[in-house]
Formats: sequence, C-alpha cells, structure tokens
Amino acid sequence: MRTRKIYSLFLMLRSSVEELFYEKPAKQGLRFFATGLILGNSHFHSLSPSDFSLCNRAYSVLVRDFVLCGGSQHGLQETKALDRSFYSSGTCGGELPKCWNCGGTAPTSIPFLACESCGSVQPRNLSIDFFSIFGLERSYDIKDDNLEGKYKDWQKKLHPDLVHSKSEKEKMFAAEQSALVIDAYQTLRKPLLRAIYLLKLRGKHVDEEKTITDPDMLAEMLEMREAVDEANDSPTLKKIMAEVEENFETYSRSFSQAFKSGDFDDAIASIERMRYYDRALEEIRKKL
Amino acid sequence: MLGAAGRRVLGLGLGKGAPGAVTATAARGYHERVVDHYENPRNVGSFDKNDPSVGTGLVGAPACGDVMKLQIKVDDDTGKIVDACFKTFGCGSAIASSSVATEWVKGKHMEEVLSIKNTEIAKHLSLPPVKLHCSMLAEDAIKAAVKDYKAKNGKATGKAETVQTDKASTA
Repeated sequence: MRTRKIYSLFLMLRSSVEELFYEKPAKQGLRFFATGLILGNSHFHSLSPSDFSLCNRAYSVLVRDFVLCGGSQHGLQETKALDRSFYSSGTCGGELPKCWNCGGTAPTSIPFLACESCGSVQPRNLSIDFFSIFGLERSYDIKDDNLEGKYKDWQKKLHPDLVHSKSEKEKMFAAEQSALVIDAYQTLRKPLLRAIYLLKLRGKHVDEEKTITDPDMLAEMLEMREAVDEANDSPTLKKIMAEVEENFETYSRSFSQAFKSGDFDDAIASIERMRYYDRALEEIRKKL
Repeated sequence: MLGAAGRRVLGLGLGKGAPGAVTATAARGYHERVVDHYENPRNVGSFDKNDPSVGTGLVGAPACGDVMKLQIKVDDDTGKIVDACFKTFGCGSAIASSSVATEWVKGKHMEEVLSIKNTEIAKHLSLPPVKLHCSMLAEDAIKAAVKDYKAKNGKATGKAETVQTDKASTA
C-alpha cells in the first residue's frame, strides 16, 4: 500500500513536471509548484515525512538533469531517467531487486516478473509498465506482430496452474503476475486501449465523465448508430462496418501524430472519436 | 470502485429497492425501474428538428461513446412543454435516465425543467455511483433542448439573426 501511494505521488509529480516542461518555466518555480502540489493533496496526508523525502530525492535527480541539459528540449529524457531509477524496486533509490527465493539479482533488460535463475515468481511490481513486459517502446505505432507469442511465453512462466511451487505465497505472486500480463496483453493489442494507456502513462486521464455538445460530431455519431440499428442484413452491416473502420483508422493516425508531437488535447479528441467508432463496430459485430 | 462494503453503507446493492421477487436482473444489479424503462421504453422517437416549436438537445459522453438526443415540443404561448421524445445509444442506465427525463418534462414550463437535477433522476432509478454520469447526461440534454428552443425562437438575447438564417435555409 505504501509503495503504491509513493508511486502515485511520483506519477503525479512527474505529470505536473512534464506539463511544466512544455511551458518552459524557471527551475525554482518548478520545485515550488511540485512541493505545493504534494503538500496540498489530501490523498497523501497519511504518508510519513520519510516517504516525502523519498520522492524529493527522485525529484532532485530530475531537476539536476534538467539543469545539466539546459532546458526543456530534453524534457522527455529526464522523465525517462526517473523512470529507470523507479523501475525495478518501486523505490527512488535505483537499486535492483533480488529474488526472494535464491537471492539472484534482477536483470536490467527484461522486467523482473520471474527469476531467471530459479524460476520463482516474484511479487508484483507496480512500476513495471505494460510496454516493458513485451519489450516494446512506449509508442502507439508498435509493429510487433509477436504480441501473442510473447504473451504465451510469459504465461508459461507465470500462470498459477503451471507454477510447480508448493508455497501459497508464490501461488499468490503467480496469480498477480499472470493477471498483470493478461492486462498488458489485452491493453496493448487494441489500438484504442493502447492509446488511452499511453496517455495515462503521461498522466493524462481520458476517461473523465464529461458531457460534450459538439453538434456536428454528435449528429454524425447519432446517424452512424441509427444506421447500424436499422440495418439488419449482412451486406449492409458489412458496408457500414467498412466505413466506420476507415473513420477509425483516420483518427487512429491523427492520434499517432498528435501524441508524437505532444499535442495532448488533440490526442484526447482523437481518442474520443475512436471510442465512438469502436462502440459502433462493437454493435455491428453483435449483429453479424 | 466501491467495494461491497461501501455499497452496503450507501444502501445500494444487489436487489435493494426491488420489493418484489429477486430476479436475474436484480442479481445483475439493475434496479427494476431501469429494467422497466429499458424493456418498455416510453417516448422513444423523433420530432422534426426544423419545427420551430421543437427544441433539440444533443449530448454525448465520450468516456463511454454514448449519444443522447432529447427533444421537447413547446407551446409557444404558455412556454409549457407539451410533448417530449428521446433517442439514446448507450447503456441501460443512460436509456432509462433519458426516458425518465422525457416523462418528467412533459406538462412543465420550460424554465421549470431547468431545475431538474441529475441526482433526482439517479435516485429515482437507484443508479449506482459508477452510473451517475448517465443521469448527468440526461440533465444536460434537458438543458440543451431548452437552450435550442430559445435560440430558435429568438428568446435568448442576440439570437434574432440566427433565427432568420435558420428560417431562410429551411425555406
């Protein structure tokens, strides 16, 4: 629980720092802002002072690198550096974790879900992101076709049914890790979910419960859903499906562009459209 | 998000508020009123949006890809809503919320319906917290419909020109 809270704190710090990167503020302003954010957030009042200093340490790494690189051109590199230090152990110290069973050190290149030396399944580490599980860059346009293969390979090592260990503890680890890999696989294989996850990693949450009133877009979506509703024969449905898939692709490309150039508002708008098209495709598949 | 314990504390939960026999739907967690609106939809339909006595509210919830259209027919002399209809593509809670909204606006003055709160709709349908935004969508749809009617009839300030161009384009 404590690790999770520290990590949430870290994520929040990072996302606000990233936002500020794009606005090029003074370093001093950056530090004050982040500190104020931490102290002001009631979620974290239950954390002890030592937890704050843990993240302060991470934050100073960030500021130091920011200063060294002289500005926001390298903004993303700094956040990556911070990611690495947080990567394995969930602390901000940067030490690699060790296997609970044999004491072997975690590898640096692949996520430490199971120990390579003794095969023991490790406890779930909340700082490991889905992309790293599949050895992929945090990018939308992943060309990897072997997602399923890698998924199956992981499950051979992690699935509770296949773990030969007798201990309850390890079975629990296996259940957690297996679930994590399933989540990762399901998220990355679908473009819409992948897009939403990518923004989430950047601290941008798309699933806000807001109302939109854009008349043209909503009229288009209403018409599309009505067409699906009224179509009852396979050829008509397939025709509509082709059109909707094309629209989805258009906004998928638009998301990719926006994400690469850091235009998060545009990225979110693209995702919203993709979601509408995806819903329609879901309804069509139900009818086919 | 809310654990089972949390749900019990709030008095929401499986089959709560359904005094009749426990059905499969109660086990799924839908209140019987939501099921009723879903299976016996009232006021589903469409008015001519170019009709000057019609106000159309078109809203969406991008988080779930929902679209909700709520239309009102207003008596121009009294300002009372004489008829209403809706068309919603979304979950059962969204459909039920808009259905309830059309029932509640009928017979009321258009200013009066602006004070219909999403919490009242949610309470009427015993919506769980995760579905609260569906009732919010219905509240927004009512407001959008009234706003549209006012805009079409030049009742809002400075909208006279819009009305003229509307009429010219539909001529």
